[in-house]
Amino acid sequence: MERKFYRWMLVPALLFLTAFIYYPVLRGTVMAFQNYNLFDLNQLKFNGFDNFKAVMSDPHIRFAQILLNTAVWLFGSLFFQFVLGFGLALLLKKPFAGRGIYTAFVFYGWALSGFAIGLTWAWLFNGQFGLVNDMLMRIGLLSQPIGFLSNPNLAMISVIIPNIWYGVPFFGIMLLAALQSVPNELYEAATLDGAGAIRKFTSVTVPYVKPTIVSTILLRTMWIVNFPDIIYAMTNGGPVNRTNILATQMINKVFKEYDYGQGSAIGLIIMILLFAYAMLYLRLTEKGGDNL
Amino acid sequence: MKKHMTVLFVLCALLLVLSPAFAAGTKEVASGPVTLTFVETMTSPSRTTQILELIAKYEAQNPNVKINLVSPPYEQADNKLTLMLNSNQELDIIEVRDHTVKQFVNNNKLVDLTSYLKAWDQGDDLLPLTMTAAKTVNDTPYLLPQFFFVKGLFVRTDILAKHGFTTMPKTIDELYKMSIAITGKAPNQYGFGFRGKGSAFKISDILILSDVANINVDNIYKTTDGTFAFSTPAARKAVAAYVDLYKKAVPSDGINWGFNEQVNGFISGTTPFLVQDPDTVSMVAEALDPSQWTVIPMPVGASGKTYLDYGFAGLGIPTTSKHKDLAWDFISFMINAENNADFCRAYGPLPVHTSTYANDPYFSSGVYKSWEIEMSDPATYVFVKYPLDNPKYPAWAQIQEQTMQSLLLGSTTVDQAIKSWEDYWK
Repeated sequence: MERKFYRWMLVPALLFLTAFIYYPVLRGTVMAFQNYNLFDLNQLKFNGFDNFKAVMSDPHIRFAQILLNTAVWLFGSLFFQFVLGFGLALLLKKPFAGRGIYTAFVFYGWALSGFAIGLTWAWLFNGQFGLVNDMLMRIGLLSQPIGFLSNPNLAMISVIIPNIWYGVPFFGIMLLAALQSVPNELYEAATLDGAGAIRKFTSVTVPYVKPTIVSTILLRTMWIVNFPDIIYAMTNGGPVNRTNILATQMINKVFKEYDYGQGSAIGLIIMILLFAYAMLYLRLTEKGGDNL
Repeated sequence: MKKHMTVLFVLCALLLVLSPAFAAGTKEVASGPVTLTFVETMTSPSRTTQILELIAKYEAQNPNVKINLVSPPYEQADNKLTLMLNSNQELDIIEVRDHTVKQFVNNNKLVDLTSYLKAWDQGDDLLPLTMTAAKTVNDTPYLLPQFFFVKGLFVRTDILAKHGFTTMPKTIDELYKMSIAITGKAPNQYGFGFRGKGSAFKISDILILSDVANINVDNIYKTTDGTFAFSTPAARKAVAAYVDLYKKAVPSDGINWGFNEQVNGFISGTTPFLVQDPDTVSMVAEALDPSQWTVIPMPVGASGKTYLDYGFAGLGIPTTSKHKDLAWDFISFMINAENNADFCRAYGPLPVHTSTYANDPYFSSGVYKSWEIEMSDPATYVFVKYPLDNPKYPAWAQIQEQTMQSLLLGSTTVDQAIKSWEDYWK
C-alpha cells in the first residue's frame, strides 16, 4: 500500500511534464500535418505531407542550402568550442594566483543572452564602423574595410565565431569539473610506470573524462542546432540565404509568416535529424570506447 | 480507507494546480471597479511609459475602471496576441496593426466600430486617411487608427553643404545622382542610407515603383491594367537604377543594414540621405543639432508621383470582450485629439486628427512640415497599399530580401529577379 502512495506522489510531476513537454511536442507533431496558418484559421485542416513538401521544394529559399548551412554551423561551432573548451579546462586545472576571478571572467560569456551576443558582434563585424575592421586596418592587414556580414563567403564564418566564443565556457566548465575528479593516484601510478605527459593525457585523462565528453558533445550538438539567436540578430539568415539554418527558417515561418504548419514541419525535421544523429553518435562512441 | 485518502490527496493536488484557471472564469464584476485588459503590440519602453501615463489620467477621471496593460515584447507581440485571441482570453482593448487586421477579421475576432464612430463627437475630425485605414478590411471600421508611419527623406544638410551641394533632390533620379556624386568626396563618404535586411522592400519598392505611372493604389504590385508592376519597362529600368545606386553610392556592407545601421550611417554622416518613418525623428534629434539635418518630402519618381505606403496601428475591441462600451470609452479617450497629439509627440509617428495639424505648431512646422505636405497633396503623394490581405504577403519580406541581395551581389540579373518576383505573386 505504501509503495502505491509513492507512485501517486509522482502524479504532479507527470502532469507538469505532460502540460509543458509531452503535450506541446504532440501538438507540434500534429500541426506539422495541418494547414495551420494564423492568417486564416478557417482553413484549418489536415493536409498530409504538404507542409514538408512546401518547405523542401521552396524555389526561393532552397532547402538543400539550409541543410548545408545547418551542418556547417553545427560542426564549425562544435569543433572549435570543444577544442578550445578542453584547452581552457586543462589550463584552469592547475591552481594559479587569481584563478577564481579569471575563471569567473572566462565563464561570463555563457551567462549572456544569445540575442545580446548577436547584436554586440554585429557591431564588431560591421563593415563600416566595426572594431574588427578598424583593428585589422590599423595593424595594416587591410587597406579597405571588409563587409564580414554582407559577403556571402564570409558571413557564415562571421556568425560561427561568436558562437564559438559563446560555447567555449560551457565545455570549459563541464570538462574542468570532470578533470578535477580524476584521482591523483592514477597520475602518480602512471608516473611510476614511466609515462610521459602525452601518454598520461591519452591514457589517464581522456578515458576518465570520456563520459563527460560524450554527453557534453551530444548536448551541445542539440543546443547549437536549436540556437538561432546569434544568426537572427547578426544577418537574419542572409546574405542570399547563406546563414539561414533550420532553426532560423522555423522562426521565419512561425513569427513572420504565421505559418505554424510549415514551422512545425521544420521543427519535426530537426527532431528527427537530431534523433538519428544521437543514435548514431551514441553507438559509435560506445563501440570505440575501449580503444581510447 | 487509505485508498480513499490517496484519491482525495490527488484531487486536492489537481485542484491546487488548476485553480488559477478556474478563478479567471468566475471573476464577478458586479461590485468594485471593472478591470479592462489592454494588450499593446508595438511595445517599446518609452512608449509603454507614455501609455501608462494616459491610463493613469483615464483612471483618475474614471475611478470605477481599472486598465490592466499587457506589454509583450515587440518581436513576439503579434503572435502572442493572436494566440490570446484564439484561446478566447478575456481581452477588452487590443492594438491592431496594418498587417494583423485582416487575420483578426478573418478569424472573427474584431467588433465592427461603425456605431461607436458615428456617435463619437470627434469622428468628423479624423483625417480622410484615418478612415481609409480604419476600413482596410471589408470597408468596415474594425479599428480606430492611432498613428501613421509615412516615409520622408532625412537629409544631412551640413554634409551636403560641405561638399558643395546647395539644392535638395526633388526627384528620385536627382537623389540617386547626388548620392553617387557625393560618394568618395572624403574617406568613408557614401551617399545613400541603404536598407538591406528586415523588410527592406518597404524602402526599395517605393523608390522603384514610383517610376511607374499607373500603379493600382489598392495593390502596389499591380498596375491599373492588371500587369505585374515590376514587369513594366519603367520598373525594369528603375530596378537597374536601384542596383546601380547600391554599387556606386552605398558601402558594400549596406546589403546587411537594418534599421540600426541605417540610422547610424545617417548620424555619423557616412550616408547623408535616409528614407525613414517619423519615429526616427526623436532618435536623430537627440544626436544631431537642428542645423545639421532636416526632413524633406519624398522625391518623386519618373511618373511625377511618389507612391507612399502608410503603416498604421490602432485600437480595436475583441468580440470576446464583456465590456465593449467601456472599452470604446477608453479608446475614444486614448485617441481624442489632445491625447493623440501628446502621444505622437512623445513617440514620433503622425497623429490622426485634422485639427492637430491645424492647431498644433509641432506637427505643422519644423521637420514635420514635410509630412504635412505629403498628407495634403494627393496628386503628388499617392497613398498605396501593400497586398496585406493576400496570404502570400507575410512571406514576401524574406523572399524579396534574399532575391534582392542576390541581385545586388550580381548573382542574378534584373530580369531573373523580376521573373522570380512575378512567379511568387502569381
